[in-house]
Amino acid sequence: MPSTRALLIALGIAAIPGLAALPAPARAQAQSSRDSAVHLVRRITFGPRPGDVDRVVAMGLDAYLEEQLHPERLRDTAAEHYVDRLAIMHRSTADLARIYAAEQQARLAQRRMAPDSARGAAPDRDPARAEARRYAGELQQAAVARAVLSDRQLDEVMVDFWTNHFNVFLAKGLDRVLTPDYIERTIRPHALGRFADLLVATARSPAMLFYLDNAQSVAAGARPPGAARRRPGAAPPRRSQGINENYARELLELHTLGVDGGYTQQDVINVARIFTGWSIRRGPLGPVFTFNAWAHDRGTKVVLGQEYHEGGEREGLDLLRALARHPPTMRHVSAKLCARFVSDDPPDGCIDAAVHAWEQTDGDIRAVVRAIIRSPEFWAPEHRAAKLKTPLEFVVSAVRAVGGRPDTTLALAQIVGRLGEPLYLQSAPTGYAERADAWANSGALLQRFNTAVALAAGRLPGVQFDPDAVIPSSDDRDTMIAAANRAILEGTASGTTLDAIRRQVTDVYDLAAARTLVIGLALGSPEFQRR
Amino acid sequence: MSCGCMDRRVFVRAGALALLSLGLDPIFLTRAAYAARRAPGANAGRKVLICVFQRGAVDGLSVIVPHGDPHYYWERARIAVPRPGREGGALDLDGHFGLHPALAPLLPLYRAGTLAAVHAVGSPDPTRSHFDAQDYMESGTPGRRSTPDGWLNRHLAHAAEHRDTPFRGVAIGPQLPLALRGAAPALAVDNLQAFGLRGRPAVRDRLERAFEEMYQGAATGLVATSSEEAFEAVRQLRAADLAGFEPSHGALYPRSPFGQAMRQLAQVIKADLGLEIGFADLAGWDTHVNQGASDGQLAARLRDLAGGLAAFATDLGERMADVVVLTMSEFGRTVAENGNAGTDHGHGTAMLVLGGPTRGGRVLGRWPTLDPAARFEGRDLAVTTDFRSLFGEILVGHLGAADLGAVFPGYSAAGTPLGVTG
Repeated sequence: MPSTRALLIALGIAAIPGLAALPAPARAQAQSSRDSAVHLVRRITFGPRPGDVDRVVAMGLDAYLEEQLHPERLRDTAAEHYVDRLAIMHRSTADLARIYAAEQQARLAQRRMAPDSARGAAPDRDPARAEARRYAGELQQAAVARAVLSDRQLDEVMVDFWTNHFNVFLAKGLDRVLTPDYIERTIRPHALGRFADLLVATARSPAMLFYLDNAQSVAAGARPPGAARRRPGAAPPRRSQGINENYARELLELHTLGVDGGYTQQDVINVARIFTGWSIRRGPLGPVFTFNAWAHDRGTKVVLGQEYHEGGEREGLDLLRALARHPPTMRHVSAKLCARFVSDDPPDGCIDAAVHAWEQTDGDIRAVVRAIIRSPEFWAPEHRAAKLKTPLEFVVSAVRAVGGRPDTTLALAQIVGRLGEPLYLQSAPTGYAERADAWANSGALLQRFNTAVALAAGRLPGVQFDPDAVIPSSDDRDTMIAAANRAILEGTASGTTLDAIRRQVTDVYDLAAARTLVIGLALGSPEFQRR
Repeated sequence: MSCGCMDRRVFVRAGALALLSLGLDPIFLTRAAYAARRAPGANAGRKVLICVFQRGAVDGLSVIVPHGDPHYYWERARIAVPRPGREGGALDLDGHFGLHPALAPLLPLYRAGTLAAVHAVGSPDPTRSHFDAQDYMESGTPGRRSTPDGWLNRHLAHAAEHRDTPFRGVAIGPQLPLALRGAAPALAVDNLQAFGLRGRPAVRDRLERAFEEMYQGAATGLVATSSEEAFEAVRQLRAADLAGFEPSHGALYPRSPFGQAMRQLAQVIKADLGLEIGFADLAGWDTHVNQGASDGQLAARLRDLAGGLAAFATDLGERMADVVVLTMSEFGRTVAENGNAGTDHGHGTAMLVLGGPTRGGRVLGRWPTLDPAARFEGRDLAVTTDFRSLFGEILVGHLGAADLGAVFPGYSAAGTPLGVTG
């Protein structure tokens, strides 16, 4: 079967990266326009809801892609209403700082009173600690609820992508206070904007400065003015030992150039020197970015052949902008985007298309994503249904597939955590993995099966759905199975899957039980694990 | 970033490769291989390594107390464990070191020569970040962040002989630790009794049959292979009826998560399911505040550790000849106590080795002393043994590993070996 690219070339439509139109029904191969719509929806959303694919077929693939690439033009009342009810959305960073300080006091007091007790005993008995824990749960639930409810699906997919790319760890000290603002005001506004802006925003965010220890990085021998003790809360209470390379290394290795991006240990040191002074101070609204000139290394630094000196805070900004346009950065980040949207091992053609768009638009993420979706590799048959869903993608797509909604508890986010992806709790700066081999292990799969069955039976905490809306009850088993195949699997169930389901429901006499079984098996099927 | 892992889809023994060309599905072969090996007693005598990770950086100076070193008492006015013979004092081991009194259940094992301690062991990397240091110790590549798999998994992947059971590598807990992640299959199990699909037996069996049938027909790949392992594990667990394996010889496990984890690992061993690598972890070692001395926060955690390890050894009895338990922690803690009667992140720490060919009754490793001039960065116990040396000696001396270069890439042990195994 000829590949899409070969076909396009044969038809005289050169596969010019970024300029190829989406395959129109007549030009695509044997696969129908509906199949292409299914593929597109699965890749740029968290999974189709009932009726989504029909809507996309009606409006056309191009129009749908453009709609999703412009989230600002979409109203999003359902998601906004849900998230608005969460208390954490109305707490400023200063509020959170106060609450967590109270929690620390409570914990210290408990430890002093009962030194023999194991750490973390009965946090819920103390109101301060209960409140603190609830906020972490709400932050996770906000992300999951948005993924389920938002009409700005591609935007939510990009937020998830950047949250992992620019990972911070919610449980690390001050980051418990700093992460909510980081997500709302650093990541979300820039998810489809310019990469350079997003990069600078993360570099200046207190959350990142704390997570990767740059807040306490000072030039060798530097002393604060008056050599006074640092105010509590202004920076982590640790003896400053000079330059901290942690952020510099991750900036180059993970955020921009990539591990093979051609930088040396000396570059890491010099980048660290450039960022000395980038720190946190306590402001009226909570911890904010500050530049401590006294801590800044004044010497000349050379990074990737570029000289930086006597620039103060400007040096860091110039470096970030230079990194954002450096070819290895374009390749590294484009490859990760292609891994998310096309295949675990991103094909070169896709990466080339993305890099080309990056160059043309000076790093406009929207343009880069558009180029990836329009590349022939995106549509190639070997890349369809090729991605294994992460726990987040599995849970959200399952809820969406049955037309479900998250309830008012925080339970749905807990389910995602139990399947292995507790949001914002990845301690490593690499974020949660993109590749299938991180998620496909036996225990995890059994958990997915249990989740699928519980959801179908209406016993999964955190979600409600109406089975009648998914599959009308029928005494014909085959009708029910066909309906499940259409509604949940978009018609992609294999013969084996259909046979297996059929075999199991043949002798189940209770119609409701049979329907539950059909839905549960469909959600747990191999086809539903992929997107 | 390719990890260079072997293709998990090719889950067959060497001799069976020829059959692949006949078009037989490798998954079919795997099942046949499992069936053949399920003969009772087939897995008895297999060597086992259990790794116990104390997450949070345990204070090695409290585990193996250097009561002979005066600096220990000069710098820990509130949290030093008293000298042997005093109330709450350390249990003397060799005249210079003593065991924390909360570890008393381990003293008979030390005296019997089955328990050894290794002091001043740790990582060559200076990081004091829990997350980084744990990852380095689990990936076995200190200083390198891009390693996606763990040293234990690489050992399993390269020690090819026993690839016939889904239970070669088992971690007790909700997620597979980095140490066991990689090309070789490994199970993360929270609760062995509940491993499998939920529901009344009739419903559960129906679901299992359905899922198995669906996944057998699925295109080969990670999802299909993992589910195959899952159902095979579920079947074998059910057939093994672990509930029937009560603790033997009067062993009494603590009711804590750690105690239960060790109890389950013992069950897997006694049921001859083919375990080679077991893994459990405990948290709560990050004693920045109010660490306590003979009693207190740290002592309580040590009591739990000792209870679990001692019960495990009692439970397995003579089978301990085939089993080594190794404790580890990402780094140690400061020599001096801090302003909160606790300790901060340090460097060198202490690890325990129990069972199998361990030449116990000794505290191993070159002791650098607590003299300020000998400390790491002037504040911490120095590291004189790279953790990879210790782990490597156990892999070779106990599990018969042939190729440490693949397990610890870029590392070659220098200096005199510890001699921890026979």
